Amino acid sequence: MAVVAALLLVAYRLHEVLVPFALSLALAFLLNPLVNYFEVRGLRRSHIIVLLYLVVFLALMAAANILFPAVSAELDLLQAKVPGYYQKMHEILGTFQEGVLKRLPLIPAEKLSGGGSLKLYQPVLEQLPKVPSYVLSLVPLFSLLFLVPFITFFVLLDAPAVLQRFIQLCPSRHVEQALHIFSEVESSLGNYIRGLLILMLAISVASYFGLVILGVNYALAIATLSGVASVIPYGGAVLGVVVGALVAFFQYNNIWVPLQVAALFIGIRLADEALLQPFIAKHSMHLHPMLFLLALLVGGKLFGFVGLLFAVPAACVIKALVVVAWDWYTSETQTAPREAVAGARLPYV
Amino acid sequence: MWKELRHFFTDSHFRKRRDFLRSLPVCKDLRDREIGYLQQSLHSRTYHEGEPLFLEGDIGRALFIVETGRVELSKAGQDGKPHRLALLGPGMLFGEMALLEQMPRSASAVAVERSSLLLLYRSKLDSLLSRHPVVGVEIMTHLAKVLSGRLRRTSDDLASAQGATAAGPIVEEMEKADD
Repeated sequence: MAVVAALLLVAYRLHEVLVPFALSLALAFLLNPLVNYFEVRGLRRSHIIVLLYLVVFLALMAAANILFPAVSAELDLLQAKVPGYYQKMHEILGTFQEGVLKRLPLIPAEKLSGGGSLKLYQPVLEQLPKVPSYVLSLVPLFSLLFLVPFITFFVLLDAPAVLQRFIQLCPSRHVEQALHIFSEVESSLGNYIRGLLILMLAISVASYFGLVILGVNYALAIATLSGVASVIPYGGAVLGVVVGALVAFFQYNNIWVPLQVAALFIGIRLADEALLQPFIAKHSMHLHPMLFLLALLVGGKLFGFVGLLFAVPAACVIKALVVVAWDWYTSETQTAPREAVAGARLPYV
Repeated sequence: MWKELRHFFTDSHFRKRRDFLRSLPVCKDLRDREIGYLQQSLHSRTYHEGEPLFLEGDIGRALFIVETGRVELSKAGQDGKPHRLALLGPGMLFGEMALLEQMPRSASAVAVERSSLLLLYRSKLDSLLSRHPVVGVEIMTHLAKVLSGRLRRTSDDLASAQGATAAGPIVEEMEKADD
């Protein structure tokens, strides 16, 4: 227990240093099935990984040439139009405020008039110009783009040998238990990460095509945002509806298209619930929404943005450990023999 | 040239183990790729002479396959001393009951000499059954045949020990239970 507490304390103190390693581990979980696919055909693991890196590098280069100009063009356009949107928002809020003053004369006029005309919205509007600085604070994450693939390479290459060494060092009578824990954690975590990627990709693609059909600007940026935000349950749908509907509103100046955008994201969310989730949840660890939320809050409080990123996978690992520990406790402490399976008492013929 | 290229791209250790698995009755109907899936689900461990694999009463969670060396299975008698049940060599499977139900081991297993063993865990078998059903079903079928064969032998031993048919006492007991 003391060792676990000490390890947790060290992890807390060094969490910023451990981020690239945790991300690499997640990426390795993601890529491992691909490596395994070729390994069962008898190919050397080291050669497969080198070839995989080569293919991924070439694919990224191609994607960068096609996708980056499109996204940056959308962002440039968005940047150019932000002052106009800001002005428009002022006008809309001003009109809304006048309407409120006419319809609700009970509200003291001085609270809503004069210099304080935008008091209610001031905090939000004050935060708007700071958005670029929030984005800039994520820049250190981009340095991970170089570190993570480097560490992932060695995780993919040496993980089987490290596991083999661990099995060999583990006291023989405890090998079964240790490997049982390992395989439970590995399968639940690996499936969770792979499921998440499938979800993000599917939501991004569906959102993109839906927005293109509706003729909404910045479809790629909104779809990507919604896909990434879908890491958090309902996050993708909420962000998609808010950002998509706002963009559609400013673009078309009516309420009809934003409603269509909202319907699109709600539809995608429902389709995800009906079609994707059963497939993803089939083998991965199921976390109760309350536990999910608790994990996010604790992760965010302790480790900030990084904590949000790793809260749910960490909760999956903890749940797998608890399940295995409970299973071990019940099987080790049971005194009465378990009941034989139905039909076991029939005579053998 | 072709041989050198093949040697460069393929994993000789992986190939050797696949050849070993192919020689086992459990894999006789499996193709190379399917044996590969099974191979990826197995863990290996080397045990030194006299090292116990598990003791009677431990909760079992894995099936063992002897790759090299020899393993002795023993059970404590009424006098408390271990009595040898079997001496297993390369290619032999044991501990399969742990894959079907997590019950205490009915015997102890100790490496008689330096031995290499392959371990298959229940969670890995579950994964094989869902992702590669052909492999999973083949293993389960083989286990069913092994258990059926052992039960048949146990019934015969019981019958010869009691001097009567094995069905007699079991049916009587069931009738009593029904009453």
